[in-house]
Amino acid sequence: MHRRDAPGRQAEDNACKLLRGLGYAIVARNWSSRGGELDIVARDGDILVFVEVKARSGSGFGGPEAAVSRAKQRRIAVAAKAFMARTDADLPARFDVIALEGDDVRIHRAAFSLDDVWPTD
Amino acid sequence: MFGRLTSGAILGVEAQRIDIECDVSGGLPCFQIVGLPDKEVSESRERIRSALRNAGYSFPAGRITANLAPADVRKHGVGFDLPIALAILIASGQIPAPKDLLLVVGELALDGAVRPVAGVLPLTLQAVAEGMAGAVVPIDNLAEAALVPNAAVFPVASLADAAALFRGERSMSPAPPPPRWGPTSVPPARDLSEVRGQCTAKRALEIAAAGGHNLLMVGPPGAGKTLLARCLPGLLPPLSFDEALEVTKIYSVAGLLARGESLVEHRPFRAPHHTISYAGMVGGGHGTPGPGEITLAHRGVLFLDEVSEFDRRVLETLRQPLEDRSILIARAEVSIRYPAAFTLVAAMNPCPCGHLGDELQPCTCTLHDIRRYRQHLSGPLLDRVDLFVEVPRLAVGELLDTAFAEPSAAARARVGRARQTQWATRPGILSNADLEGASLREHCRLDPEAAQLLRRAIARFALSGRGHARVLRVARTIADLAGDESIRAAHVAEALQYRAAGRVREE
Repeated sequence: MHRRDAPGRQAEDNACKLLRGLGYAIVARNWSSRGGELDIVARDGDILVFVEVKARSGSGFGGPEAAVSRAKQRRIAVAAKAFMARTDADLPARFDVIALEGDDVRIHRAAFSLDDVWPTD
Repeated sequence: MFGRLTSGAILGVEAQRIDIECDVSGGLPCFQIVGLPDKEVSESRERIRSALRNAGYSFPAGRITANLAPADVRKHGVGFDLPIALAILIASGQIPAPKDLLLVVGELALDGAVRPVAGVLPLTLQAVAEGMAGAVVPIDNLAEAALVPNAAVFPVASLADAAALFRGERSMSPAPPPPRWGPTSVPPARDLSEVRGQCTAKRALEIAAAGGHNLLMVGPPGAGKTLLARCLPGLLPPLSFDEALEVTKIYSVAGLLARGESLVEHRPFRAPHHTISYAGMVGGGHGTPGPGEITLAHRGVLFLDEVSEFDRRVLETLRQPLEDRSILIARAEVSIRYPAAFTLVAAMNPCPCGHLGDELQPCTCTLHDIRRYRQHLSGPLLDRVDLFVEVPRLAVGELLDTAFAEPSAAARARVGRARQTQWATRPGILSNADLEGASLREHCRLDPEAAQLLRRAIARFALSGRGHARVLRVARTIADLAGDESIRAAHVAEALQYRAAGRVREE
């Protein structure tokens, strides 16, 4: 289990470095609740950022972003709700996705929002 | 963090003020629009998100709620894009709130450009009626917004444009002056000089145009009924400014104004195909009912070619608007009244094969066929037709005749003068077709000879009260065309001729 996670772990470390470089403060890593897991929780000034890190070694399968499916977003959102409730935070929040593909790094700010995950109509 | 702006919704051809409130608060990112939005309003979220980012603003993190009040009116259309986007910018402190009350409307493109929307004219009128300081409208809608007297209109081409206006970086330039009124062109139409023969029908067309009388033409195929009707737009009297504004409002709401077109200059001429549906004719459709052909023909002509081919149910729906000059479309959720003051011009064959009464070609229809064909036009509908005219097959001589025929321009001049007389001497009446009861008695004074003729005709043709009124109205228009103040015997005699020819039902 741990062995298989190793490349992902590496990617998350890289992502954290990247975020710190951008001036974010890392609040938590691999925070999990019953419904899902958050790779990185960071602070961008007054904004709480839930970061999902996705890495791919080679191209194909539509890039790492494609792996953040609606179902995955939903699990992240559930976990984020739990995090907000647990930490009593009333900050504006955002979901980011960091995609690592070889040497290529892409940050997607506000990649999705609750109205995407649970459409009201 | 809170932002507030004003916009408007269209109900029928009128606008209603809609207040937009926007709240940006902490919490997980979520963008909601509440206040009974339709699908296209809900979808504006995606356009707003993209437009804000691509115009260089940040889409705020956290929870965003936009409320459209009053919440009991169903909101549809795409005009809320721009005001909601601006309200978000205000709520997140990216632009200041405007000092004055402005009505804002516009659709957003994904790159932040502002696209034109329908209904800008009634919305701007509403802004003035509510005493707002001005209206922020898409630049492509400027021409119609500028029609509104005393309105300060601020055209915007993009979200950034509107934001600059709120920041005070753009001067609040005064609206351009309303265009000078006066039709600049002759409406596209066939010319009467193209029509061979058919003097009676041409005359009937002129009378219909002058007095707004409903007209039914009956004749075999190829006699020229359709061509005659196509000449009509060139005969109709020019619109008054108020009428033009009414028509423009309808076309604005229906989204049928050409880009940059300000006022509709010419009386509408609508010629729907006979396969038209009930909703297409009177208005309706999903969600908020839209205007139908009868409303698009407001202050103009609704031409029904091959009228007996129309769905009977569709034809019967015309009865009430022909009487009331408007149509009430009632739905469970909303009732909307659309104006529908149109002149009905219809054409039909005398029988299914088209040759009944033709001396050269025998009719092959059975009596039963003919009766069924005619029954398509119900008595109550025919009752509302003032002028019946036969358009017979042309004789050989007429067909080959190359003699000069009067062009439309001459008839149009007479029609225009006759309509001016009606407006000048009959206040409250738009055309003689509206004369009824007291106004009919007041304005249709007969000279003694004419009165005597009419008395004899009533006895001879067994004219009903309604038939009598019809003859009077038509005689009035004929007298107006002749420039006579009182109706003379010759006018009555001519008017009688247009009823005698049309015993479509009774024959």
